[in-house]
Amino acid sequence: MISRFFLASAALTAAIIPAMAADPIKIGVPVGLSGANSVVAPSVVQSAELAVEEINAKGGVLGRPLALEVADDGSGAAGAQKAFDALVFQKKVNVLISMETSAARNAGLPIVARGKTPFIYTSFYEGKSCSPYLYVNAWVPEQQVPPIVDYFNREKKAKNYFLIGSDYAFGRGMLSFTKSYVEKTGGKIVGEEYLPMDGSDWTPIISKLKASGADAIITSTAGGAPNVTLTKQLRAAGISLPYGNLAVDEGTAKSMGADAADIYISASYVTGIDSPANKTFLAAMSKKFGADLKTPNDLSVPEYEAVYAYKAAVEKAGGTDAQKVLAALSDVSVDGPRGTIRMNKQRHAPLTMYLGQVQADGRVKVIQSFPNVDPGAQCPPKS
Amino acid sequence: MPDARPLSPAAATQFGVSRRWSAVLLAILVAAGITLAPLLLDTYMINILIRAFFVAIAAITVDIVWGYCGTLTFGQSAFFGIGVYALAIIFTEYGFGSWQILLALATAVIAAAAVATVTGWLSFYPGSTPLYASIVSLVVPIVLVQVLYSGGTFTGSSSGLVGFETFDLEFENWFRLAGLCLAAVAVVALIATRSDSGRVLKALRDNDERCTYLGINTSRYRIVVLVVTAIVAALAGFGYAAFGGVAAPENASFTFGTRLIIMVALGGRGTIIGAIVGALSIEVASAYLSGSLPYVWELIIGIALIAVILAFPDGLVGIVKRLMRGVQKKQRGPTTRLRPVAKAAANAEENAVAIEVRGLGKHFGSLSVLDGVQFAARRAELLSLVGPNGAGKTTLIRCLSDGRERSTGFVAIAGHSIDRLPPDRVVQFGLGRKFQAASVFETLTVAECLRVARTHRARPSLITTSTVLELPAAAISVVERSGLADRLGEEARNLSHGLKQALELAMVLSLEPEVLLLDEPTAGLTRAERQAFADILTALASRDRLCILLVEHDLDFVREISSRIIVLHQGKIALDGSVHDIVNSALVREIYTGQQAAASEAVS
Amino acid sequence: MLTVTLDAVTTAALLFIISSGLLIVFGVMKIINFAHAAFVTVGAYAALVGSQLGLPWVLVVPLAFATGALCGALTEATIVRRLYQRPLDAILATWGLGTVIGQLITLIFGREVQFVQAPITGTVDLFGIDYSAYRIVLIAAAVIVAVVFTMLLNGTRLGLSTRAVIMNEMLAQGLGVDSSRVRLITFAIGSGLAALSGALITPLSSVDPNMGVPWLVSAFMLVMVSGGSLLTLAVSCILLGGLQVIVSTFVNPILGGLTIAICAAIVLRIRPEGFARA
Repeated sequence: MISRFFLASAALTAAIIPAMAADPIKIGVPVGLSGANSVVAPSVVQSAELAVEEINAKGGVLGRPLALEVADDGSGAAGAQKAFDALVFQKKVNVLISMETSAARNAGLPIVARGKTPFIYTSFYEGKSCSPYLYVNAWVPEQQVPPIVDYFNREKKAKNYFLIGSDYAFGRGMLSFTKSYVEKTGGKIVGEEYLPMDGSDWTPIISKLKASGADAIITSTAGGAPNVTLTKQLRAAGISLPYGNLAVDEGTAKSMGADAADIYISASYVTGIDSPANKTFLAAMSKKFGADLKTPNDLSVPEYEAVYAYKAAVEKAGGTDAQKVLAALSDVSVDGPRGTIRMNKQRHAPLTMYLGQVQADGRVKVIQSFPNVDPGAQCPPKS
Repeated sequence: MPDARPLSPAAATQFGVSRRWSAVLLAILVAAGITLAPLLLDTYMINILIRAFFVAIAAITVDIVWGYCGTLTFGQSAFFGIGVYALAIIFTEYGFGSWQILLALATAVIAAAAVATVTGWLSFYPGSTPLYASIVSLVVPIVLVQVLYSGGTFTGSSSGLVGFETFDLEFENWFRLAGLCLAAVAVVALIATRSDSGRVLKALRDNDERCTYLGINTSRYRIVVLVVTAIVAALAGFGYAAFGGVAAPENASFTFGTRLIIMVALGGRGTIIGAIVGALSIEVASAYLSGSLPYVWELIIGIALIAVILAFPDGLVGIVKRLMRGVQKKQRGPTTRLRPVAKAAANAEENAVAIEVRGLGKHFGSLSVLDGVQFAARRAELLSLVGPNGAGKTTLIRCLSDGRERSTGFVAIAGHSIDRLPPDRVVQFGLGRKFQAASVFETLTVAECLRVARTHRARPSLITTSTVLELPAAAISVVERSGLADRLGEEARNLSHGLKQALELAMVLSLEPEVLLLDEPTAGLTRAERQAFADILTALASRDRLCILLVEHDLDFVREISSRIIVLHQGKIALDGSVHDIVNSALVREIYTGQQAAASEAVS
Repeated sequence: MLTVTLDAVTTAALLFIISSGLLIVFGVMKIINFAHAAFVTVGAYAALVGSQLGLPWVLVVPLAFATGALCGALTEATIVRRLYQRPLDAILATWGLGTVIGQLITLIFGREVQFVQAPITGTVDLFGIDYSAYRIVLIAAAVIVAVVFTMLLNGTRLGLSTRAVIMNEMLAQGLGVDSSRVRLITFAIGSGLAALSGALITPLSSVDPNMGVPWLVSAFMLVMVSGGSLLTLAVSCILLGGLQVIVSTFVNPILGGLTIAICAAIVLRIRPEGFARA
């Protein structure tokens, strides 16, 4: 267990130093090595490391090697300010590519603007983040929610939805979109309840749910503990309604054991995607990290693809000039484990979404895929 | 021993002047340093220090509330957060401009003051404990963060607010601005805490009860301090957000609140400088270390905190001070001269009733500790209260000095009913209470203790330290006869038990009371000290015409000094009469001496 | 209505189990143990290890208690004992200790959310409604904790010494009570109870390094408002826990989460002795 810590330190201190003469292009990765994101952060760092290694092995970008600079953002605003300061002003990185909490991303935005540094954000989030320096290659509510609701409407004949969330930006953002989408598709919201982000006793909400006559539940809690406690308590209360969970990932679902069975999830990446690109990627990850591999997931794979997107943009721009790279980022496309990704919709990307169902053994079975779901208006040009 | 002989006024002034000049010189050097530093530092360091400067201002407010007033507060972060969000919300809603700046500033100040007032009202009231105040301070940021989370797009919920237009300054100028703000706050805090008013804050920390019985409304003092520090913390938060361009719930969180405490604890509480040292070193160290040691950083901080509390409660500054004190003996502040106050016109008649008690009872549920106690005493009477352990003597003293203690009955001091008033109000009617165990301000000097005792007569200055101490003649006489006059500059904790008792008596007399309550004043005194005490008391009754009410076990002492004796037995007045009557009463021999012997056996 | 009542009673039971250890320490030492949340977490991890070793639940719970008691005894002997004269510093030191324990757990077990299989799953039919079986078990657990510790306090020599120290420490010392031993044992028992509660909530909760923290403030306030006896603590839990459920059900759960803290603060402001008899 201790090895995790050493791994993280090693990843931080030993940025990959390739045997190429030219000045490296520095990629800053501010990520939550401590705090709420610390469970998923190591897998994100691994993705970035693989991408950098692969690119350097093939001669780098315009003859220059890539180098990673990882910094802990503490999963929050204060830590992110320090991490971004360090990366932008001390390490003078050429680009920031990272999966972070919304609070950390927001805290970083003024700093990338001051330092005029491009920033590719690789975490799914509640949407509507807009800055000339920011690109996003992960999903927003407009992409994630419809597959679940459409499926419940069609297959489960669900009409009455009960929504449960943690009281924070992601929880509220996801459910407010869900609410409007359910109502638009003819359903009805019979309850919408939130618990504080660190709350762990869902009893009154579950009692309300039981009394509400709902025939489907959709939840969007903070990752980790709240998600687990809610699922456990739902199961302990004998709830067996169709259950869509907007915040659970494959890894957590797997470790939840029998309680997670039958949960529906919607993601742009699941390990079971049956494509040559995904298989090559998974094989390369296992080869590089062996026993230390953190299972790739919906938060780590976009990081891998974003490094390639930056490479393509630098090559198109003919250098690392921030403005030229920013212009190029919306044109270039990457063929990665999730398919072909192009961040051409108001700095966001249309994505193929997968509806999965957690099996009794913790595996996620893909039930249906929805190609090229549009992110909608996330950052409309100012009129 | 430092020389405590009063200096001539000229020498005292000279001392003050040279001190002042060196302070001004130091301030100029610091300001010059802050102005020039950005030319030497890299952008990253400048960035870190700008934030650290604002955090250090918040840490100073924690030091004042905790280090000086003794309330361990987890809640200053909430006020910092209020400043952060006042700016972020107003700039987000209304854009950036001059009236918006003023509106944001006003909002920060008013909101912080309002929240601090409510917090203070909940935390500080007669009878609240420091522990309770700490817990309330913990609740404040938790509630505030919950409000921020629930605030939707208005507060930005967990993601906070970002992207609002804010002041467009160069890094270097931000550095100068923040640095000078910090220096200014530090200077004001240093002056205020070293002033006569600042001593009162330390007195609150050392001994809240003694303050109350010196007529100081400690709750009000604490609330005022909380409100002032809350406003300063909110302004620090305002600056922090103006520079960073981000508002996040973390800025208001209890985690940040505890981090501020750790900064002050490591740097050295109660010194102001310690708060700055702690804040800057932790902020800078965490910028360099927490990124590369994310898992271990918190562990290091936790261990360091425990180690400092156990081994170096004075923190870094304390360690340095201790080292320097080895080299150079310390003279604490300018030497003080005593001066008698002009005696107020002798009020009322010389033999007026000073204390009146009717039908007083005190019950715990069905248990009755005092019942139907009734007596009156005039000025210049020296009344002793005797009785076996558990007779209710100390309870009676408490009921006479604190209006909320008794269950039934009426008490008047110098003609004023004490109603349900707290001790600080009762004291203002002319009551002085000396406790059984010497109750002084351990970390204050003798002169400072006496000055605090004069707080409600002579409003202490917020800026200066007075070199003249005006005391009533009775207090001066105690100070001189006990030998305290030679040790005015010494900290009370270094005094002998007897001298502490004398100091407390002098403090109580500084109130110019009409009624003096003494609870076993001779316990633990040497024979000589006891005799000196007897002389002092007799003089106070005959010369200064005080009404003295004394609880005492030593019957010989009582017989020697009293003009009248009340025997309390099982919560009731058993006898009330002259010394002769009481001492020769068979009843007294039986109930008092008999049970006294039994009780003392049980205790030993 | 029946559901609300059951919610209220089971919530009160849960709160009682979690805060009883804190109360025992507060009663004797007049300090609030800020490492309480960390000890709750320690207990949950002890339960995790125990159940991974395949121990039956009847052994897992005592294992958690013993682990917590051991940690508590070490804490008292190395830290708290030196700070009796400085109660606020003792609080701060226990807070520091809480951080240290949390970080050590993170280093050993990782930050991941872990799972302990519940000993009892599913629901029972109670007065015509389906109700989570484990929550009903908690009521019994709370009653057992209350009865055992009331008996311990009232029926044993240790209990007698403890009550003597609570009432008047100087006098107790004079009568030959070894008050530092009483403090050591009390702190160990209080920490053991914290850990026990940690083990007992695992079937309803996740196991992660910060799992104890959300309970902390409510537990603090309940102990403060109860004024120091198990009986008044039970009353406080039922009144304020019940109020929390009512606010959560009929207003909203976010306000519900703040109910205990805010109501307790107001109760104490109006009546400083809280729910204790005057």
